[in-house]
Amino acid sequence: MTEWIVIVGTGVVTFLTRASFIVFADPRRFPHGMRVALAFVPAAVLAAIVVPGLVSPSGAIDLGLGNPRWIAGLAAIAIALRVRNPLAIIVAGMATLWALQGLAR
Amino acid sequence: MVANAPGPPPRSDTLARSAPLADRPPVSPHSAASARREFLAGSRAVAPVLVGTVPFGFVAGVAAVGAGLTPVQGIALSVFAFSGIAQLVVAQLVAAGSPVVVTLAAALVVSLRFLMYSAALSPYLASLPVRWRAPLAYLMTDQGFAMGVQRYADGEGGGMRHWHVLGVGVTLWITWQASVAAGALAGAQVPAAWSLDFVVTLSFLALLVPAIRSRADLAAATVAGAVVLLAAGLPYRLALVVASLAGIAAGVLVEWRHRR
Repeated sequence: MTEWIVIVGTGVVTFLTRASFIVFADPRRFPHGMRVALAFVPAAVLAAIVVPGLVSPSGAIDLGLGNPRWIAGLAAIAIALRVRNPLAIIVAGMATLWALQGLAR
Repeated sequence: MVANAPGPPPRSDTLARSAPLADRPPVSPHSAASARREFLAGSRAVAPVLVGTVPFGFVAGVAAVGAGLTPVQGIALSVFAFSGIAQLVVAQLVAAGSPVVVTLAAALVVSLRFLMYSAALSPYLASLPVRWRAPLAYLMTDQGFAMGVQRYADGEGGGMRHWHVLGVGVTLWITWQASVAAGALAGAQVPAAWSLDFVVTLSFLALLVPAIRSRADLAAATVAGAVVLLAAGLPYRLALVVASLAGIAAGVLVEWRHRR
């Protein structure tokens, strides 16, 4: 039962955030300060998701050669600065990770 | 292929200024042919993204079942949420036996970026009836948002561009749900050595890099990235909440100082 509350609740939360301005409100009516803050949400939230995946994949910060993910991440960033195609970025990151994992073996 | 890649999110000052005027509703009668053309154009435009969607969805399906949800619950979560990171965060917190309120609060934080997307996209969709706006809102994703803004900016598609947004959304939705179902049903049979979960990080990295367009954006990302590591000891993925808020504050501060 608890699982279903979580499942439906997650649906409500994600829909309400998506529908907030598209369905319910006019962003021009909101205070200037809030709109300025909103503009930084993607950079902040996305970084908070990405950085641990690169730097501390197993929980502790690991910037050594034993953790190939931050190196693969640098390769992916290098590609992302040049092309916008997400396919190229993902392929570059995975290929680098697999290559480094292969070398380590 | 590069021409079809999603464009960057709008500049950070887009929202601060008054929003652009809404697209005028089509003057000519709706043409079924041009609607279909826009829908298919959206379907095709999103194709390069799907290569990341499939493994990401698979990972999300595996995670749901690994957290103790049944495959049906994992698929239901995906249909209700249609958000990879929300599904992953919820799976982690369910696995840890977290209280419902905490789980939903974490889902809210990772969904905050939808507020910004919704605000940026709403002027373009304002002339549509709710029976269009509600489904398009439900179908909105990071990629779908980026491609929608680009479609409205490039001027092609005239008054039928919401069909393009729908084509992107429906194509992503079908691909995502099929991938999640495959992960939930076939689950743990993929060797961990494949490191498929890294696709999740890379998918968000592909969104993060073009989202950084100013010094203030960079400050927001840097502070959020540093704080999420420093706060890693906090329970219930609170680090994500604290880091996101710190990053937003940093961005606002840099923007204000820059203005003066």
